[in-house]
Amino acid sequence: MIRKSFAALLLLMLAMVALAPVSAQATEVKMWIAFTDNRLDWTQDKAAKFNELFPQYNVVVEGYPNYEQLFAATALAAGNDALPSVVQYFEVATRNALDSGYFKPLADAIGDRTEINGVAVALDDIIAPTTNYYTIDGRWSSMPWNTSSSIMFSNMSILEAAGVAAPPATWAEVEVACEAIMALDNAPEFCFTWPNHGWFFEQWMAQQNQTFANNSNGRDARADVVEVNTPAALALLTWLKDMQTKGYLYYSGARDGSSWGTVDQAFQSQQVAMAVYSSSDTAIYTETGAANGYEVRASFLPYNQAAEGGWTGNLIGGASLWLVDGLAPEVEEGALTWLLWLNNTENAAEWHQITGYLPIRNSSVELLNSTGWFEAIAPNASEVWTASALVQAAQGQNWFEANPNFIIASEQLAGSQATPATQGAILGNFPAIRSIVTQAVDTVLLTDGADIAAILGEAQTNASATLDQYNSLVARALGQ
Amino acid sequence: MPAALPLLLTAAAALIGAGLMAFWFRQSLLPVAAGAAAGALAGGAGSLLFMLPLDYCTFSPESQPIDVALGLGLVAVGMLLLLLPVYWLAGRLRGGWRTLLASDAPPGSFKGWLWPLLLLLPTLAILFLFLYYPALDTLRLATQTSLLGIRGTIFVCVDNFTRLATDRSYLQALGNTALITVMTVGISMALSLLIALAAFQPVKGARLYRTLLIWPYAISPVVAGVIFLLLFNPTGGIINYFLGVVGIEGIRWLNSPTYAPWAVIAASVWKSMGFNILFYIAGLQNVPNDLKEAAAIDGANVFQRFRYIVLPLLSPITFFLLITNTTYAVFETFGTIDYLTPGGGPLQSTETLMYRVYRVGIQNNDLGNGAAQSIILFLLVIALTVFQFRSSGSRVNYGA
Repeated sequence: MIRKSFAALLLLMLAMVALAPVSAQATEVKMWIAFTDNRLDWTQDKAAKFNELFPQYNVVVEGYPNYEQLFAATALAAGNDALPSVVQYFEVATRNALDSGYFKPLADAIGDRTEINGVAVALDDIIAPTTNYYTIDGRWSSMPWNTSSSIMFSNMSILEAAGVAAPPATWAEVEVACEAIMALDNAPEFCFTWPNHGWFFEQWMAQQNQTFANNSNGRDARADVVEVNTPAALALLTWLKDMQTKGYLYYSGARDGSSWGTVDQAFQSQQVAMAVYSSSDTAIYTETGAANGYEVRASFLPYNQAAEGGWTGNLIGGASLWLVDGLAPEVEEGALTWLLWLNNTENAAEWHQITGYLPIRNSSVELLNSTGWFEAIAPNASEVWTASALVQAAQGQNWFEANPNFIIASEQLAGSQATPATQGAILGNFPAIRSIVTQAVDTVLLTDGADIAAILGEAQTNASATLDQYNSLVARALGQ
Repeated sequence: MPAALPLLLTAAAALIGAGLMAFWFRQSLLPVAAGAAAGALAGGAGSLLFMLPLDYCTFSPESQPIDVALGLGLVAVGMLLLLLPVYWLAGRLRGGWRTLLASDAPPGSFKGWLWPLLLLLPTLAILFLFLYYPALDTLRLATQTSLLGIRGTIFVCVDNFTRLATDRSYLQALGNTALITVMTVGISMALSLLIALAAFQPVKGARLYRTLLIWPYAISPVVAGVIFLLLFNPTGGIINYFLGVVGIEGIRWLNSPTYAPWAVIAASVWKSMGFNILFYIAGLQNVPNDLKEAAAIDGANVFQRFRYIVLPLLSPITFFLLITNTTYAVFETFGTIDYLTPGGGPLQSTETLMYRVYRVGIQNNDLGNGAAQSIILFLLVIALTVFQFRSSGSRVNYGA
């Protein structure tokens, strides 16, 4: 009996294999991204829409837990000739991506076409800070996607109780506000926090017009000195240490990728009144505050009022999408179509609304600045977008007027001067260098009577040695 | 490097090998000339074992004294690796040629070598493919600058190793590993024995009670990390709540370089105790009652009976646990560290050697440096095992 049913099952399976719908006509385009949360859901929703609109393609999106793991998976896949069609690399891996030889510059793949499969190329519509970051020698190397900037979130319920009407704009103002907040009877445990992630160090350097590497942040020529031991860095760490000594600063001790969660926890449990963060989570921060009965207001990243020239500007963060080199022509065509469609006016606006990443097209900003955005996005919208409470509540209104927190990052970048410092550094081995910087910050904050200049000096030596190692390896690999 | 150096070094190695083996053969009443010849061959070849792949790079003009020292060390190790078999053969030859081939295997084992080898082949193939080959490749990788995601490598001789000697953070990781290992093993085993003694008492529901004690062992290190993350949470955690009750306020367990290693130790102790208790209870069940009764009749009190009867009889278990616990503390605390204090903790205070290999090799993409560190870790474990077997093995009481 068992044998009979087993044979029947086997037959059934064989029949299923034989009769399976032949989907071989659709060209598969595989994309790897470093998200596993609702951002992956959104992208997969979008891929499903795309596959309906362009039945000749079948876009498959796979998620990895973070940028670092995706980076490692890509390197391993390259060794086995198993790369997908598109890979997401974080902004600081741009130099590595260029040097790796895995990818084809976007400009080369597009050529002089203005549309592909009916999807407009229109890369001149991309906002200036993103264009400045991802164009090397004036040419697009990859397709920008998630672009953010660092901003500050304030718990206005606490600030107002302390008589602080608006989020502070400078380091000195933060300190004054903290004095008032910590004097409250029901003061939070701490006043201010930030993730000890290299990106914020770089942001605070850019604000003071201080580059992070020589040769104009590695954009005029390959950088070979990391600039960590600078007056601007000394000013930053002196301020942070001072804030800590006064009991205002909460430093969780977590660094790099694991630092984000500790800040989320401190701010959302109202343990601190102000948190410096990425604009990428504007939606979550705003919604969590509303759900728990405190108002969250976003503001520019506080700057050093004592810096020469005041506030110069901020740089971007996030990641871009790289087209793998050596794809079959029809796969490359499908990948290009998908990349351009994913970042068209409506989709870029939708992506912004459900996360807080910048709307990376000027036309998306215009659309959101009107009252008609809902109707424009709705036909191809994802389920994530349809389910968003913020989106539904703002229907029929100007998006930015209904949700002022969402314009802050765009305004901060729009107001920035375009200098090599605010353009952001292009460095090899950048993630390892970042880790050296955050380790220096860690040492300063956790050592009593730390000699800040000496710690920065050592970090600069180590970071430059790491960069040297990378440069000599690439020079050898490229036969320079 | 003087062109004659390789020749000179090989000759010197051959000479030393010849001398050593000639001496040993004489001691064993074997032909001295044969010993000298075998020793010269093994010594000379041994000196080439590491130096040929490295191309004598440790003796180049720009080499530092530390490179030269490491190079000489490698020559010595290579010689030892080939001289030891000669030494062993000579020992067996003492009784004449027949003893060399004579088998001292117990009855019932295979005769000849073809069949056993054939049967071992599948295992050996898997071991070679997944263990020996990667291990050898790690050696090669350790002599290179190699970054994940960048094609090509640069040969850097032994720089990846010598750099570690002056790397303060590496030495700190070594200290962290020692602290976390010694404390975890010591506390866990002592507490486990205590609990096992209590749980061994014939009380009602003892079986259920004992089963519950073993639970933590079945939990993955990651889950243990999460549990302790919640326990040690400075504001909402239960540990600070109870400390607050007795008047100790607000210890920031996970953000203080002083306390963070202890949080890791506490989690690791808890995690490994179930396993230890299990073995100690089993061990206690094997301690014959009549011995204890006889001692009691002779007037030994509870502590004396424990000290002179139970503890010695438990020594095989203790020895076994010492090894497995040390291995656990050195290698398997990774998941706990990564969840409790991701990135190696404040001021890198919970970064063990194992965690550091991951951070350097995978997070910083520095494969060459990571490989060098993993080889040192490997040597450390070999040394530890040899030491444990030599020092405690002789005092272990296997008789009952």
